[in-house]
Amino acid sequence: MSFLGWFLLTPLAAFLLLLLLPREQEKTIRVAALALSLAIFGLSLGLLAGEPRETDLAWIPELNIRYHVAVDGLSIWLILLTTLLTPISILISWKYIDRRVKEFHAFLLLLEFGVLGVFAAMDLFLFYVYWEVGLVPMYFLIGIWGHDRRIYAAVKFFLYTMAASVLMLASIIYVYQRAGTFDYPAILAMLASGKLTFTSLEQTLLFLAFFVAFAVKVPLFPLHTWLPDAHVEAPTAGSVMLASVLLKLGTYGILRFCLPMFPTAARENAGWIAVLAIVGIVYGALVAMVQPNVKKLVAYSSVSHLGFVILGIFSFNQQGFDGAVYQMLNHGVSTGALFMLVGYLYERRHSLEIQDYGGVSTPAPWLSTVFLITTLASIGLPTLNNFVGEFLVLQGAAQADFRWAVFAATGVILSACYMLWMYQRTFYGETPEKVTHQMTDLNGREWAAILPLLALMVWMGTAAETFLPRISAANRLILQQTTVNVPFNVQTPAPRPDVAAKEIADAR
Amino acid sequence: MLDTAFFYAFALLVLGGALLTITQRNAVHSAIWLIVSLIGVAGLFLLQKAEFLFAVQIILYVGGIMVLFLFVIMLVNLDEAARERQFRGRWWVALGCLALVAAETAYFVIKGRDAFRFAPRPETPASPLGNTEQLADVLFSTYLLPFELASVLLLVAIVGSVVMAKKRI
Amino acid sequence: MPANLFPAPVEIFRFLPEIILALGGTLIMVLEALTGDRQPKNALGHVSLAALFAALVAAVAVHGSPGPAFSSMLLVDGFATFFRVVVIAVGILTVFSSYRYLSREGANTGEYYALVLFSVAGQGVMVTANELIMIFIGLEISSIATYVMAGLLRDDARANESALKYFLLGSFATAFLLYGIAFLYGATGTTNLTAIRETVLRADGPSPLLLGLAAALMLVGFGFKISSAPFQMWAPDVYQGAPTPVTAFMSAGPKAAAFAIFLRVFVTIFEPIGDRWEPIIWVFALASMTIGNFAALTQSNVKRMLAYSSIAHAGYVLVALCARSDIGTAAAMFYLAAYALMNVGAFAVVAYICGKGEKYVGIDDLAGLGSRRPAVAAALTIFLCSLIGVPLTGGFFGKFYIFKAALESKLIWLTVLGLLNSAVAAYYYLRMLVVMYMREPGEATENLEPLPAGLRTALFTSAAGVLLLGIFPSRILEFAVQSAKLFGR
Repeated sequence: MSFLGWFLLTPLAAFLLLLLLPREQEKTIRVAALALSLAIFGLSLGLLAGEPRETDLAWIPELNIRYHVAVDGLSIWLILLTTLLTPISILISWKYIDRRVKEFHAFLLLLEFGVLGVFAAMDLFLFYVYWEVGLVPMYFLIGIWGHDRRIYAAVKFFLYTMAASVLMLASIIYVYQRAGTFDYPAILAMLASGKLTFTSLEQTLLFLAFFVAFAVKVPLFPLHTWLPDAHVEAPTAGSVMLASVLLKLGTYGILRFCLPMFPTAARENAGWIAVLAIVGIVYGALVAMVQPNVKKLVAYSSVSHLGFVILGIFSFNQQGFDGAVYQMLNHGVSTGALFMLVGYLYERRHSLEIQDYGGVSTPAPWLSTVFLITTLASIGLPTLNNFVGEFLVLQGAAQADFRWAVFAATGVILSACYMLWMYQRTFYGETPEKVTHQMTDLNGREWAAILPLLALMVWMGTAAETFLPRISAANRLILQQTTVNVPFNVQTPAPRPDVAAKEIADAR
Repeated sequence: MLDTAFFYAFALLVLGGALLTITQRNAVHSAIWLIVSLIGVAGLFLLQKAEFLFAVQIILYVGGIMVLFLFVIMLVNLDEAARERQFRGRWWVALGCLALVAAETAYFVIKGRDAFRFAPRPETPASPLGNTEQLADVLFSTYLLPFELASVLLLVAIVGSVVMAKKRI
Repeated sequence: MPANLFPAPVEIFRFLPEIILALGGTLIMVLEALTGDRQPKNALGHVSLAALFAALVAAVAVHGSPGPAFSSMLLVDGFATFFRVVVIAVGILTVFSSYRYLSREGANTGEYYALVLFSVAGQGVMVTANELIMIFIGLEISSIATYVMAGLLRDDARANESALKYFLLGSFATAFLLYGIAFLYGATGTTNLTAIRETVLRADGPSPLLLGLAAALMLVGFGFKISSAPFQMWAPDVYQGAPTPVTAFMSAGPKAAAFAIFLRVFVTIFEPIGDRWEPIIWVFALASMTIGNFAALTQSNVKRMLAYSSIAHAGYVLVALCARSDIGTAAAMFYLAAYALMNVGAFAVVAYICGKGEKYVGIDDLAGLGSRRPAVAAALTIFLCSLIGVPLTGGFFGKFYIFKAALESKLIWLTVLGLLNSAVAAYYYLRMLVVMYMREPGEATENLEPLPAGLRTALFTSAAGVLLLGIFPSRILEFAVQSAKLFGR
């Protein structure tokens, strides 16, 4: 087993280790969880360098199920994002989580285990296993440590995802039936060589089964209704993990599995999916605008932002794909940061209603500054991260259909409206007595949690060439795979070495 | 011909007795009709030249077990039970189901009658032994295990009835 | 005179597990009489455990010398060994989870342990039987012992109702089965499964119609025993009323054994008329899953809910039967093993919580278990996840394998509907998780006694088993696949 194979098991080991600690010693548990998750993050950095980044072992030989994991340019950054956000989540829960500390951290690590597995799995069965495994800890994170309506939100979250994914399981078995293997690269090779072909009807049904499972997770309008509930009720760390990592599972899955396996169906259905994505962008933005609850506002902004990702994917060109993946990372960083900051506010004021705030910038100037930077990143200010991603997506969408870009662009404008308006109402204006009383500025632990994300926002906004080349390389392959079995002629840009650099230049 | 007549006569005893067993209000009457039904079964055994089973049926069921039944019935206060309505309003549902099953069975049997082909029987006349001896042979050779297991079954039944009936466990 | 009056040693060896169990049961009865009334009867429970473990060892050892015994009355093959191990394991777990419950209810008697042994012995006979008469006798031994166990607490009205219902409907079902056996004998002239199969496959064999009649009648009998819809009505009342450890036992052991003979009879003897019974099983499977899951949604009593869920799970296994393939048989075997573990485990938790007189069997009574008894709650979580079908548990893998078999046999609609059903099922299992972890402790969980050693063993063994079946299913799966080829098909 190579490094990657072991690495993916480390969160599980950490989870088990944590279970062994006595539950009374909360301090020890926090420190241990933090240390372990930081160690996992450190190890994950090794993935950037280490080769080979693949492990392929027999797991259940009777069914030809393998522990086949691999990392490429598409997943590497998502994995790093996950390993980075786990210690951050532990940091921000230091004070916030004051009961059942052991279980909380254990579930967080179990969640990390599931998510990392999803990003690395190269065996369809393994993928499904990880996909569902991540569900259980998230359910508990929301249900135990959430706010008032947490149980409703947790159950809704679980049932939506579960119901959508059982059909994916059926499809996975069906694909196995036809291909004789769960091994994803092998299936793709068969598709490419024409050994395995699906009829048009098969492709459409299988594509839809996979797509719905992923679309619920994204969430794509109109399957998004679980998201605001889950976000609002979840504890801060839960929201952060949910927004930054779990939502990416859906978009990742579409890009990784739906498109290469069922290219014809994906292209045939691209039209209405893109329309739904645009509806999601605009609808999410409009609903966010009227939200009195700041967390719900951020949640709806997620719906809007993820719409861009879907739009980018279904543009079927290099820019669209690159933008979509980059936007996935961006959203993870900036929305994660937003949820953290909202959590900071909540810890002080114990309210999520915007009307309970106002003039926060006076008692807490640093908090306001950080919040402002994050807000600006979220609305796509140049030199900050979201700008690059949104630009690429819009460029890709414009190539596919110019109208898409026009409508989607309104989402960018709307996002500026609702985010800045929210910021204005919260941080400026009259400072109510209570706010002055309760608001304190960031402390060291909070700084430590937010700083890495701030740095990433600037880094990803100014030096995209750190990230984009690997992403582009992976996307080029996927784009090429989506031309397999496609009866009509598709224009694929020839792979050019300078394409990434040019895109970055464009993006600036 | 005579065999057939006897068969139907005994079958009538069996079925009629069974029907009356469940429709009679008085438990003692039910028990008596059950005896009639069991005697009918014994008669059927005799028609099949299974003298041993015939004897067992009479001695055990009609003699032993039924007497026991009657004892129990006499010991239990039955006035209450007799006053209760015997059938709930949904008896016609049961009757419908029964008719359905009967029709189905009849259909199957008539349609599949040709298939009642038995495997060629071992030539019995060659053996000088009677039915009882043959049964004994089979019971203690081929069917030894089920025979022994039946004793376990009886043991379990006895243990069960003791557990249920004992004053204090 | 027949020469083989005395069976060969190897034949006795092939029957050893059941011999040990029956002797153990008898021994306990004798010891019961010898011990004083005031003495605690746990020692008798230990004797029954010793017998069960010895039988387990024997069952595994017997696998080394497969073949028929006692004039082909029984047949030791992989299939038989698999189910033998399952039913014995269920017996062991039941005894472990019974100690505390019985002494709490003042019913810690030797008879109970003897009945467990007899019942398991009966199930052992069922799963090894190669003869309709043996099947019938085994079924009766197992059933009668279980009826009595259900009515063990004679002062409890519910338990009485449970035992009576179970007895009446069970006898009714057995009568149907016997009727079917009679027709099968009439049509083929033999009661030996191997011989029946030969007759059936012959060109001049009995007409499919007669076989169909026998199959229909036997189906009714088996349907009752496995609590599949439309013969499921008895299950909720019986499961609810019986003492909880007994419920655990009868929802796993007798059910697994009944499924074993169901599978053996239907995939061997009735294989030639498979396309006649497949649509019926199809309907049964779907109806069981749907009725079980939807009825469970509204239950507030844990035992009743688990009873409905067990109906649904019978439906999943029927899906595997519906596939009519070796893979399907193997899937059913694997699922039943996983199901036995997770169900016994879940009921063991209920037996722990319920308190004297089963006061606390509502779902709400689980409130706060997560904070009061985290280890118990964790075990129950594993069982529930397995019942839902969350990966890395035996329940998931079993379900996956069943639906794989179904898809291979082109049962696409049944697969889709079954999987959607399992999503519905998630809801009511989640309710238990919700109450357990997300509510404040209530009356039931405030004053819980420490976890008794026996229950702890039962809980953690079955939890470990469920995880093992989910994470490393290879060995057992391989065994199931090899043994699924009944009669060398």
